[in-house]
Amino acid sequence: MTRMKHIGLVLVAALLGASGAHAQEHATSTVAEGAAKPAMKHAAPACSDARPECAMTVFPAFDKKGRLWVAFSVGKTVYAASSVDGGKSFASPVAVANIAETGVIDAHGDARPKIVALNDGALLVSYTTRPDKQMIGTIFTARSIDGGKTFSTPQAMLADGGQRFDAWVVSPKGRIYAGWLDKTHAQKAKAEGHEFAGSGVAFGWSDDGGATFKGKSILMDHACECCKMSAALDRDGLPVFAWRQVFDDGVRDHYAAKLSADGASLTGGRVSDDNWAINSCPHQGPGLAIDHAGVWHVAWFTKGKNRQGVFYASSRDGGKSFSAPQKIGDDARAPAFAALLAVKDRLYRVWKEFDGTTTSIPMQMSRDGGKSWSAPHVLATAADASDNPQLVAHKGAGYLSWVSHKEGYRLIALPRDEKSASVK
Amino acid sequence: MSVRRNIVRYGIAAAAFLLVCGGALALDFKPYGRGDYETLVKAHAGRPLIIHFWSVTCPACVAELPQWEKLIGAHNDVDILFIDTDDEEERDRAAMRMEKAGLATASHYAFADSFVEKLYFEVDRNWRGELPFTALVAPDGVRTTVTGGLDDPQMAAWLGKNAGKK
Repeated sequence: MTRMKHIGLVLVAALLGASGAHAQEHATSTVAEGAAKPAMKHAAPACSDARPECAMTVFPAFDKKGRLWVAFSVGKTVYAASSVDGGKSFASPVAVANIAETGVIDAHGDARPKIVALNDGALLVSYTTRPDKQMIGTIFTARSIDGGKTFSTPQAMLADGGQRFDAWVVSPKGRIYAGWLDKTHAQKAKAEGHEFAGSGVAFGWSDDGGATFKGKSILMDHACECCKMSAALDRDGLPVFAWRQVFDDGVRDHYAAKLSADGASLTGGRVSDDNWAINSCPHQGPGLAIDHAGVWHVAWFTKGKNRQGVFYASSRDGGKSFSAPQKIGDDARAPAFAALLAVKDRLYRVWKEFDGTTTSIPMQMSRDGGKSWSAPHVLATAADASDNPQLVAHKGAGYLSWVSHKEGYRLIALPRDEKSASVK
Repeated sequence: MSVRRNIVRYGIAAAAFLLVCGGALALDFKPYGRGDYETLVKAHAGRPLIIHFWSVTCPACVAELPQWEKLIGAHNDVDILFIDTDDEEERDRAAMRMEKAGLATASHYAFADSFVEKLYFEVDRNWRGELPFTALVAPDGVRTTVTGGLDDPQMAAWLGKNAGKK
């Protein structure tokens, strides 16, 4: 018996050793210490070094000089790293924040640390932490004014209430806008014993490069609490946001709206009547882009009564009305996580597909504001786990940013004309 | 890889053994990876089987856990497995949620594979990860999947048809 127990203990020790991502994460506090062995048993990143290719999610941004920046997290640390060769190699990542041993960094699926490169060369990194016991989050921001060498002590956007799923956009005048899902009203309702569907939709802005934020108020209630928001800049320099809204009877369809110049109100409308009445977490928010003509483009996932799959629609009247939803992708390949990007007169949409073995990122381009699209063209594939596709623009060119476990980090230029877009 | 996985599985078995022997390990999540869906379905062949996927990041999932506890109490003729789809770092939180709902002694698995597209696809090729999500396997092997909560009419209909029959 004693011997059996001894063998058992050895096996348990081996098990913990082989899969001790938990213990190792706590030790991953600096770049130097971050070389923990990969965990084999549990859902873990491909590796646990402080490198973009070891992260579950990577968020890209180009600075004015054309340097690619990415924000990502490994274990309990949020990092920023830059690349001067289009993502082929990265300089040593800088630890932006190391969170306490309790709690987690939101970096899974729709949720991820983000980075914004400002015109004056400053960088703003955002990330969300969640304490161990609750699902409510806190959004933190940290700035770098020395070209990403060091970052300021992270500050909470709001001290309480619970915020997640931040989305960022910078106006031509340099005002930084943020939108997020805010649990403050939901928490209050819960404390008072009332039912409350979803989260509030809140907005704030900064005119001092992210040092301080104004506004920070909830302008609409009942957004679906577990799907990301997306943000894009309209022609007039005002930000537009899209998110999944909980309508009457628990219908989780989409809404897009523009923030007014004074930041006090929203103008927009429902994107489509999918009629997905469900008390669930789709874990999948919409993609949004606005083109040079001011047309709003939205892509989203639904399993509604009226349609199921990934869809696209556009609005030419500032969100008052949207075109009939158009299906994206091949339903036999579980299309998901569509992203949109407008660059000059080109509009791109990419999404994720999976055929049972391989994940692919198909892309289509439109030169007529989303009325017609090139044939789907697969930009990249992955043989194992992968992030959701991210699109990023720089100097009139669009790029796919994608990290996958086996293939690593890839930045892939999007085609500039129909001919190259349709090449298989 | 498979050898390594076996080692891990023996380790898990040892952990369970220790638990029986009075070990101090908390709620045990067995690893769930690619291929395991079919393995579980085969292992429970001939009996009504419910495989329930959930996450701590899904308020709707967490809110209905007490109802799952009641369901287990009312249906010992149905095999019910819980699969936590969270990352490893959420596991303590997941254990806490299950314990709070009185489900500590239920049969628990947790995603042990980051290739979630494959895990989803193996259960239902139309599943993109939305939760709660439940796979129902009848004694005759017929499979049904339900997106959404336990209150979905499909759940009651399936239980009416497949549960309570020895």
